[in-house]
Amino acid sequence: MESNKKYWKGLEELNNTPDFVEKNKHEFAEPIPIEEILSGTGLMAKTPRRNFLKALGFGVGAVSLAACEKVPVHKSIPYLIKPEEVTPGVANYYTSSYDGHAILVKTREGRPIKIEGNPSDILSKGGVNALAQASVLELYDVNRLQNPVINKAETSWSAVDGFVKQQLSLIKAGGKKIRLVTSTVNSPSTLAVINDFVKAYPTAKHINYDAVSYTGIIQANQNSFGKAVLPHYRFDKADVIVSFGADFLGSWISQAEFMNQYVSNRNAKSLEAKKMSRHIQFETGMSLTGTNADVRIPIKPSEEGVALINLYNEISGTTLPGSKKLANNSIADTAITLAAKELLAAKGKALVVAGSNDVATQVLVNAINAKLGAYGTTIDLDNVSNQYAGNDAEMVELISDMAKGDVDAIFFLNANPAYDYYKAKDFTAALAKVKLKVSFSDHGGNGEGNQTIGDETSSLCDVIAPNHHYLESWGDAEVISGYYTIVQPTINPVYNTRQAEQSLLIWADAPVKDYYTYVRNNWDSSILAKGGLSGQKGWETLLQTGSVKAAEKPAGSYSFSKDLNAVATTILNQSNKITASGSDVELQVYQSSVMRDGKKANNPWLQELPEPVSKVTWDNFAAIAPKYGEKLNLKEGDVVKITVDGYSVSLPVLFQPGQAQGTVSVALGYGRTLAGPVGNGVGQNAFPFLTNVNGTFQTSSVAKMESTGEVSILAQTQTHHSYEGRSVIQETTFAEYKKNPAAGTRKNNEKKVYTLWDEYERPQYNWVMAIDLNACTGCGACVVACNAENNIPVVGKDEVRRRREMHWIRIDRYYSFNDNVTKEKEINKLDNLDHVSVVYQPMLCQHCDHAPCETVCPVLATVHSSEGLNHMAYNRCIGTRYCANNCPYKVRRFNWFNYWNDSRFDNYLNNEHTQLVLNPDVTTRFRGVMEKCSMCIQRIQAGKLKAKIEKRSVKDGDIKVACQQTCPTNAIIFGNVNDPESEVAKALKSERTYYVLEELDVQPGIGYQVKVRNTQPTVA
Amino acid sequence: MSSHSESIIREPLITGENITYSQITNDVLRPVENKPTKAWWIGFTVSSIFAMLWVFAVSWTFWYGIGAWGLNKTVGWAWDITGFVWWVGIGHAGTLISAVLLLFRQNWRNSINRSAEAMTIFAVICAASYIVAHMGRPWMAVYSLPLPNQYTLWVNFNSPLIWDVFAISTYFSVSLVFWYTGLLPDIASIRDRATGIKRRIYSICSFGWAGSVKTWQRFETVSLILAGISTPLVLSVHTIVSMDFATSLEPGWHTTIFPPYFVAGAIFSGFAMVQTLLLVARKVLGLENYITMFHIESMNKIIILTGSIVGVAYLTEFFIAWYSGVEYEQYAFINRATGPYWWAYWSMMSCNVISPQLFWVKKWRTSIPFSWVLSIVVNIGMWFERFVIIVTSLHRDYIPSSWAMFQPTWVEVSIFIGSIGLFFTLFLLFIRVLPSVAMAEVKLLLKGASEQAKLEKIKHGHEDKSQVEFYKEALEKFDSVDLAKYGKI
Repeated sequence: MESNKKYWKGLEELNNTPDFVEKNKHEFAEPIPIEEILSGTGLMAKTPRRNFLKALGFGVGAVSLAACEKVPVHKSIPYLIKPEEVTPGVANYYTSSYDGHAILVKTREGRPIKIEGNPSDILSKGGVNALAQASVLELYDVNRLQNPVINKAETSWSAVDGFVKQQLSLIKAGGKKIRLVTSTVNSPSTLAVINDFVKAYPTAKHINYDAVSYTGIIQANQNSFGKAVLPHYRFDKADVIVSFGADFLGSWISQAEFMNQYVSNRNAKSLEAKKMSRHIQFETGMSLTGTNADVRIPIKPSEEGVALINLYNEISGTTLPGSKKLANNSIADTAITLAAKELLAAKGKALVVAGSNDVATQVLVNAINAKLGAYGTTIDLDNVSNQYAGNDAEMVELISDMAKGDVDAIFFLNANPAYDYYKAKDFTAALAKVKLKVSFSDHGGNGEGNQTIGDETSSLCDVIAPNHHYLESWGDAEVISGYYTIVQPTINPVYNTRQAEQSLLIWADAPVKDYYTYVRNNWDSSILAKGGLSGQKGWETLLQTGSVKAAEKPAGSYSFSKDLNAVATTILNQSNKITASGSDVELQVYQSSVMRDGKKANNPWLQELPEPVSKVTWDNFAAIAPKYGEKLNLKEGDVVKITVDGYSVSLPVLFQPGQAQGTVSVALGYGRTLAGPVGNGVGQNAFPFLTNVNGTFQTSSVAKMESTGEVSILAQTQTHHSYEGRSVIQETTFAEYKKNPAAGTRKNNEKKVYTLWDEYERPQYNWVMAIDLNACTGCGACVVACNAENNIPVVGKDEVRRRREMHWIRIDRYYSFNDNVTKEKEINKLDNLDHVSVVYQPMLCQHCDHAPCETVCPVLATVHSSEGLNHMAYNRCIGTRYCANNCPYKVRRFNWFNYWNDSRFDNYLNNEHTQLVLNPDVTTRFRGVMEKCSMCIQRIQAGKLKAKIEKRSVKDGDIKVACQQTCPTNAIIFGNVNDPESEVAKALKSERTYYVLEELDVQPGIGYQVKVRNTQPTVA
Repeated sequence: MSSHSESIIREPLITGENITYSQITNDVLRPVENKPTKAWWIGFTVSSIFAMLWVFAVSWTFWYGIGAWGLNKTVGWAWDITGFVWWVGIGHAGTLISAVLLLFRQNWRNSINRSAEAMTIFAVICAASYIVAHMGRPWMAVYSLPLPNQYTLWVNFNSPLIWDVFAISTYFSVSLVFWYTGLLPDIASIRDRATGIKRRIYSICSFGWAGSVKTWQRFETVSLILAGISTPLVLSVHTIVSMDFATSLEPGWHTTIFPPYFVAGAIFSGFAMVQTLLLVARKVLGLENYITMFHIESMNKIIILTGSIVGVAYLTEFFIAWYSGVEYEQYAFINRATGPYWWAYWSMMSCNVISPQLFWVKKWRTSIPFSWVLSIVVNIGMWFERFVIIVTSLHRDYIPSSWAMFQPTWVEVSIFIGSIGLFFTLFLLFIRVLPSVAMAEVKLLLKGASEQAKLEKIKHGHEDKSQVEFYKEALEKFDSVDLAKYGKI
């Protein structure tokens, strides 16, 4: 209660007079001057209005500031000091080399974004294959190791050096073996580094280990001619080529080079000279090469040796012991007789190759080639290939050494035996006994972002000293003796990696530890001079041209004088061993031309590139002949279990026309477990199916195959395989062509065209394309080139299954049977699907002059240009998909999802880091818009701008679109048809030219040249 | 209009005894003025659950993109445009009934035109929702309107999709105006009987309808004018929809027969849908006296006619494909009948061509359960027709390498089923708040064309005996007529 006591402040309050009460009410009040304002002066007066404006200004300003705060800030940092050679928006090209092929690397603002063929490359003359195209993506693979690793923990390079050197000095003192396992090294500088290392550690030895080796050929040449080399094959000099399972246009030795050589005898120029090589292929599974052959005969793996013996007999006129006719394959027998005649008739211009890795088989092939006079002409044993030097026996010996505990240190450079050695378990068990295990692998992982695991082999190593990507490296290569190419870095190392050579130099305490200086010294001292270059100027010239070619040694002719009886016996024994009986099946493992040995399994561009023949992506499969499958009661997609010697894989069945009956083919390179998020778990590993026979790893064996009852749908980009007799494909034979160059074109000269359309003006340029079906081998390099150039998203297996791949250019592949059966209905009635012919057709936006897509777009998002192009304005597109429905060629691609910003597509390397590979000249597309081939409009624009700066008009050949640039066979020609002198105008004048679906009068801008097959024997 | 006395040879359009003007009002407004029945609640709950599914599936599509559907690089349209055309087609019966039959003075339309028009509007809403939902970037849908803009970009007047935009929006707005104009006197009737807030709302909605002679006169004139405007729409809208296909290059789409064939198909499916709705509504709402067996039979006759036209069109397409000598078109049609989607083709053929022919049998076309089942069969058939046209043409066109199959996902199936739910939700709401029979127009028929009026006439005994017998025979099929009272005469 006391707190309620009141203290009055004056008598007024005590008395509480009315006057006081009134005043007290207003003690703190200030009257609002409403009256004042309203009564005239207020609103008219200057002050309130100013105050109002001030308040307004402040208010708006404050609100604006507040609104500004949350806007995401994109930091773009300009060059503080601009490098002289970098102009934002202008690409720089640097020479380098990939797999020994001279290439150009396109960089933008210091980022390599595209591999281009180097026209001065003597091997493929300016083309590169799909693998080279895809290699740029690996540079930005966020799953690469970002730091060196010791015992699964990231560490520093000094720690690695300290650890390895200490261990090595201990091991050196112990005197046990040190081994350097690499895939074939053909770089002179790397070999020199390895020599220096071996000098520093005398117990060290270098072992070339190729997952798929060519030991058979090398050993055979040693046996036959005393030269343990892989010869340089010259398909360009061969008029008749007979191949036994050698996929020389695909995975065999040197794809891009052989493609270029091969097509040089089959392309437009050659045809005009009435010349076309003849190619006969005997093989088990349908290879890319087999699909291009004029005659292709399916044979079982067990029949290959017998067939070769028969061929030898026919050619030499002798009979080797044990020769016999092929049981149940009279077609092959007849073909052998015929092939022998043709080969003999083309003596000196004939070539027989075999894909086998069996020494005896290759000796027999050598004998045949010697009889045909191939040495010195189509086979060069003096300027040899250094592409593969692996020796299987050395690897086997290494593993037994390791198992015995004789090896104390092992280094792996670009080798992954824990995955690709045929007895990987033996290898890993033996590896555990090695004290110091070092891997230079820069990639791999379990796909969960852990950057210390590495690939299958490096995860077993103590030290991972991640190597640079080749685009970050100095280096060189000599793939064909005398042809030296340089590798130069095009970007600073993206991660904390170090070049393997440099690591070796440091660990060997070499006098020169900087690898650039090392390479430079090496070239200055020995290589530059071979190309007539020297000194600083010579070096600079080299960096601009990319290669040096020493004078070729004359290719000598070699005669074969060994006894073949033992060889024939070995071959026949082996054939008997792999002959399947009863319910067994002959298994052939092979390398697909896309995935090869699986080292690039984490590259989504390659995984999503359809395997050229089967059109399967993201998987390997069990390829069997359709009729054989029916006999086994199997359907396409049924999962079968294939077992050899206790190892089994379960794979979906693919019905492959042309596959030999009673055989199954499985691709190597799949089933990686530590490749990274993209490659892990894609397909099944077939390497354990390799067998070690007579000292080499061989690809055939007898397997059990049983259905598992499961079904797995393959992700194929094409599911209908015949062209239904439609004029989409037009083909003829060489004999017909010689009679009439227009043979095969279904031209109707009497047609009258009535048109409702306005003609477009194309005053200056009319960009068109010519595609020669006879030059296209179907390899798919253009598809990857287009991916890289045009920022085409990878969609993954599920989406490909839903038929939603985004490729702007695709290679359609059609089968026809018995020379002219092309309709599905009739094909279904055939008893035998072995006689299959294949045609490839690159299909992309035809840039029709009367484009059906343009008429139907409600919002004019796709319109015609004054240069003959069909434009696509992404920003205007509302995604009705009407254009795609109305496109007769089905080349338009819809963005079903927001591929570039959707977490479901992250495992295809869609992340901030990998996006550095994007071409800044091409916008990425948002979900819901249509896209399609733009004929590389950014390149056209760049070409025009360049010409404008140089104050001239665009010359033919200034602008090359991405698919054309990369094509190793120049099957694609792009240019301005308004210029009658342009290459494309000339090509389109060919009698062979036809336009796909010409009868619709959509006036496509791409002319195709009729496919010509040399089906008739050159001798009677 | 026709309040004159009608010959007894004609079947009555209103049955029942002691039907008065107020009786009609009472009967028609029963669902509007009373609490909803259990049947309504069940129907509404089920429909709105499906409507929610529609909201969910459409939102899913907007959120994830069209990739949520089963479309692919080859088949760019499937359930979406199938659903769109199906709904537009269904709408056609409403316009035909309200406009064309009005101009042809077919008085029997008076009892069914209101529901049919409502059906049109809701069907067009469903169709229009597909136009937006099938777009890759629906938020840019405004680009399809010819609005002046600072880019000076215009729409492509060559594109049938733009014609569609105009056709559908015109169709929707004209149908809405026509429907609402017809509603005015009936809304006024509700207003006059309602109290409180309801009265206020209906008062506003009736636009101050006073019922004066002048008002009625103008009402009649406006109805005729709107009927005149709507009549060409019956033909034009589906003609334009058919041009989405007919003007393209796609074999199987590129066909000049499409416009008449599509219009016939639209009317076919529209009448089937009217049957589906009204056979149930007349029972549940107790409207047997106003929607009689005569109406049901008449509509079934139209179904026979249009179904036969459609059948002839199917056969003509085949003939032309053969006769044209175009291999792609020949393949497209052979593929329809024998290719991987043969089941869709034969579902279409049996539902659309064979099943309506059963209506030649009088017993079947006057059977309510049979008519109802068949109306659903026809709508299934018409859905398959659009599916066959769209998917089997697209999935195998010119370039065999791109041939593909199409499989729907749950999303597009849900959107379609959900759109039916949306349609029924709207329809059920409609019968709760607005008269489902045009009272004013039915009342016109009471004096002349009703059963009781004709009975009076017969009772007077001035009618020809044979005509009376004929009339009595005709009445046998009516389920709402008690024939006993004719026995005495």
